Amino acid sequence: MLTFDHVYFYYKKEKPIIEDISFTIEKGEFVCIVGPNGCGKSTIAKLIDGLLMPKKGTIRIGNHHTKDPNDLMKIRQRVGFVFQNPEDQFITTSVLDEVIFGLENICVPREDMYNRALSALKVVNMEDYLDAMPHELSGGQKQRVAVAAIIAMQPEIIIFDEATSMLDPEGRNQILAIMHQLHSEGMTIIHITHHMEEVLQADRILLVAQGKIHFDGKPAPFFQTIPVENFQLEQPFAVRLHRLSGQAVALTADWKGAIRSQWSTN
Amino acid sequence: MVYKLKNINVTYGQKQVLHHISCSIEKGKWISIIGQTGAGKSTFVKVLKGLVSFQGDYELNGQPVKQDSKGNIGVIPEIGFVFQYPEHQLFETTVEKELSFALKHKDMTKTVILDRISTILPMVNLSEDILPLAPFQLSGGQKRRVAIASVLMTKPEVLIVDEPTAGLDPINRTNLLQQLKNWQHKTKGTILFVSHQMEDVAQYSDEVMLFHRGYLMGHFPVETLFLKKSSLLKQAGLALPESIQLLQLVEELSGENIQVTSCKEADIFAKVIPILKARGLDDE
Repeated sequence: MLTFDHVYFYYKKEKPIIEDISFTIEKGEFVCIVGPNGCGKSTIAKLIDGLLMPKKGTIRIGNHHTKDPNDLMKIRQRVGFVFQNPEDQFITTSVLDEVIFGLENICVPREDMYNRALSALKVVNMEDYLDAMPHELSGGQKQRVAVAAIIAMQPEIIIFDEATSMLDPEGRNQILAIMHQLHSEGMTIIHITHHMEEVLQADRILLVAQGKIHFDGKPAPFFQTIPVENFQLEQPFAVRLHRLSGQAVALTADWKGAIRSQWSTN
Repeated sequence: MVYKLKNINVTYGQKQVLHHISCSIEKGKWISIIGQTGAGKSTFVKVLKGLVSFQGDYELNGQPVKQDSKGNIGVIPEIGFVFQYPEHQLFETTVEKELSFALKHKDMTKTVILDRISTILPMVNLSEDILPLAPFQLSGGQKRRVAIASVLMTKPEVLIVDEPTAGLDPINRTNLLQQLKNWQHKTKGTILFVSHQMEDVAQYSDEVMLFHRGYLMGHFPVETLFLKKSSLLKQAGLALPESIQLLQLVEELSGENIQVTSCKEADIFAKVIPILKARGLDDE
């Protein structure tokens, strides 16, 4: 369980970045955090992992507080991070080394390392590339290795900070499929994104703007009640179709299925 | 100017990345360059700008461009090139210096430069208030627009933009695409838009060049590709825009051939939604 309790953050006092944010994310949830560029989404992610410290309020992962230096190491083992640019993340010279690197840092016994790395690479379908060097991989493949490096560390929560935004559609779909698979196996997923199509498939949406939470709930009421344009966002295709068809097409990410089933019943 | 390539081949080390590319780029068009990652899109636009060596013929207005023994031609100054994440290249201490940089080195006077800044800034929806600011004080969307404006300052005839909206929020995306469209209309310039976003390609392009595994599969008017030759997109491993998928689904279910002449989403909705509504109303 992850809890933000009246959290404030700023670099300059007169320019607050996060202002009195409170929420709880339960184990096994799939939460999307959305909002305009510069709204504080990535700051929230960094606060979760203790990369930034709140100026006021507390952040807890289970019973661990990010403010307690003794807890911080434990929190970082429980929270994995996948960043936007896979190029920034790769630091070793082969795929296997990249995954092993994380395990070395958390002192996994040497005899367990290979098996943990291999099974993590299998989850992301990169087990055939153990010796491949970074420059031989596409952006999507590098990002999948970054995800495997996190999976191998067996965290409870993975934060994807715009991890799909630099990938081509194929790479993006692969990462999304992995996210949903991990979620179905019980992983807590926090997905920070600008892609509204991806948001429709989440359990829950947190809309952040000007350092505050403006919506916390399910995708359907989000798109029905929030004027997303006011938050630099747009309606995904499925929502545009639902609206413009006078709701003749049901509001669901699977709009094709909705049209097909409607066609066959009428 | 007309840019013409004839039988262009490009090899990196042992690997041939472009095969027998022939095409002609005419003035005033929005041409989208599409294809999977590794299909040759970026190499193709680099050939046009003169950034990579190649075998083959490059003609400007019918005149062959001279190549050195290694196949280099030198950069073509009339082509502006906005790389991916161009804001990473901002390095001056103020926005004004950033925008002036290219022209200062062409010995233009300050008055000319300032005059040009005041015509370019509104095109990317930036105000002159930001001129004294340091680029790092700007938002992500503003930095991107400053970087694009600094290329527009050189008054290119052709503007190459490689994934210009990556990482921007949806409204910044739409605004930027609209600003590029306005620049194209205002200056009668050409845009070469390298993109994976098929929705944007269908919405903004006049023409599309489709690359697959280093080959140019075709150079079409946008409507031809999306409405008549959409199977080529599947062959090239690309998804269709959702609006085209909707059109095809309703055609399949209704067994009708729906007459559309534009591949813009609003035009497709206008044809398809009445059919869906008629179907939905049967319920009651």
